[in-house]
Amino acid sequence: MRDARRELLLALADDELVTGHRVSHWTGVAPSLEEDLAFSTIAQDEINHADVWYQVLVGEVDDVRAAVDALGLGRRPDEYRHAVLCEQEPGDFAYSLARHWLYDHADTIRLRSLGGSSDPDIAAVASKLVHEERYHVEHADLWFARLTARTDDARSRLAAAMEVALPQAVWLFEPIDGEDVLIETGVMPELSATLQDRWATQVTQALRDAGIAMDVPAPDFTTPGGRRGVHGPAFTDDVWPEMTGLYRAHPGAVW
Amino acid sequence: MTATTTIDVVAARRAAEAVPDPELPPVTLGMLGVIHDVIADGGHVHVDLLPTFAGCPATEMMTADVRDAVLAVDGVTGVDVRIRFSPAWTPDRMSPEGHEALRSFGIAAPVDVPAGRRLPVVNDEDTADDRRTCPYCASDRTERQSLFGPTPCRDIRFCQACRQPFEGFKA
Repeated sequence: MRDARRELLLALADDELVTGHRVSHWTGVAPSLEEDLAFSTIAQDEINHADVWYQVLVGEVDDVRAAVDALGLGRRPDEYRHAVLCEQEPGDFAYSLARHWLYDHADTIRLRSLGGSSDPDIAAVASKLVHEERYHVEHADLWFARLTARTDDARSRLAAAMEVALPQAVWLFEPIDGEDVLIETGVMPELSATLQDRWATQVTQALRDAGIAMDVPAPDFTTPGGRRGVHGPAFTDDVWPEMTGLYRAHPGAVW
Repeated sequence: MTATTTIDVVAARRAAEAVPDPELPPVTLGMLGVIHDVIADGGHVHVDLLPTFAGCPATEMMTADVRDAVLAVDGVTGVDVRIRFSPAWTPDRMSPEGHEALRSFGIAAPVDVPAGRRLPVVNDEDTADDRRTCPYCASDRTERQSLFGPTPCRDIRFCQACRQPFEGFKA
């Protein structure tokens, strides 16, 4: 049970941490000042949300900060549990927006479900975060509407980005290791597969309404993915070394 | 005379509540309703904080400031400050002084929380439905201009009546 709960919390936290790092790419180089502010704020939000999930995982310890840093920055690449969607390079603005839209809708569905968790800490944090994530979803939806309503060029570039991002995003719903135990105890009120169906219905409907016909592929979850520590070079050779560099150079540093 | 181990819990709470918000100095944590339980155990004091915004990068600073403030209270030998999300912080925890202090800073607090709707809520409403009263002229003819503002917990609004931009406190 404790191991399964840890796997769930790491999946939640690592998704947010790695997303925050990739989103921060746009700080200083976004297409407009307002978008610079938006992506910089979202990056801060996500990294702080990761911090909160790590706090739930470490629980009552003497030095919470050291324990949280050890989790966030002190693990080997194959010990991270985020979905590979989160670690991909920002690509062009269309890909970043497609990922943002797919991820934040998935995150919201997951948090709403976890608001009913039998674990009081998980339920409380999920309920708090879903409220803050509204701003991210609304931002993503504004861009989705803007790009699909205007020119064919904007829509086709978003569609091309979705072709790449959608098959990656569905791996957000790769089952958690030990999910059967989490379901049995009510820590997860619903299966990942149930959340995936809800998300797939929502995104395919929105895409169809926008004139982009696309199906969500059904992945083979018997092959391990990000939730079981399998990551690509975008993480192992890029995000991970950069994100953990200072921590590895100065273990236990305080700043 | 012997050293006393009895702590004045009211004084400890008052010290914690007087700590200014690191990003909004005119507003104290007490005014915001961030200070939850203050419990004395011998010379040791436990303080629970309920952050208004989980994505707040200033919570660590608040924690340290509260620890220092309570440590300065007579008889306190140790303090631990914990961040709590249950019970959740809700806008109704803000005092009238807190609303006024935010307003004087050009920030509209979430005043118009409809009856029965308490955070955290899971809703399908746009954040744009969360309307604010202009902190300068009290008009309701305001609109939200940006979802993101100078800190993670604030957005940008505009008043059509007095033509002033202002900030909304996210909640």
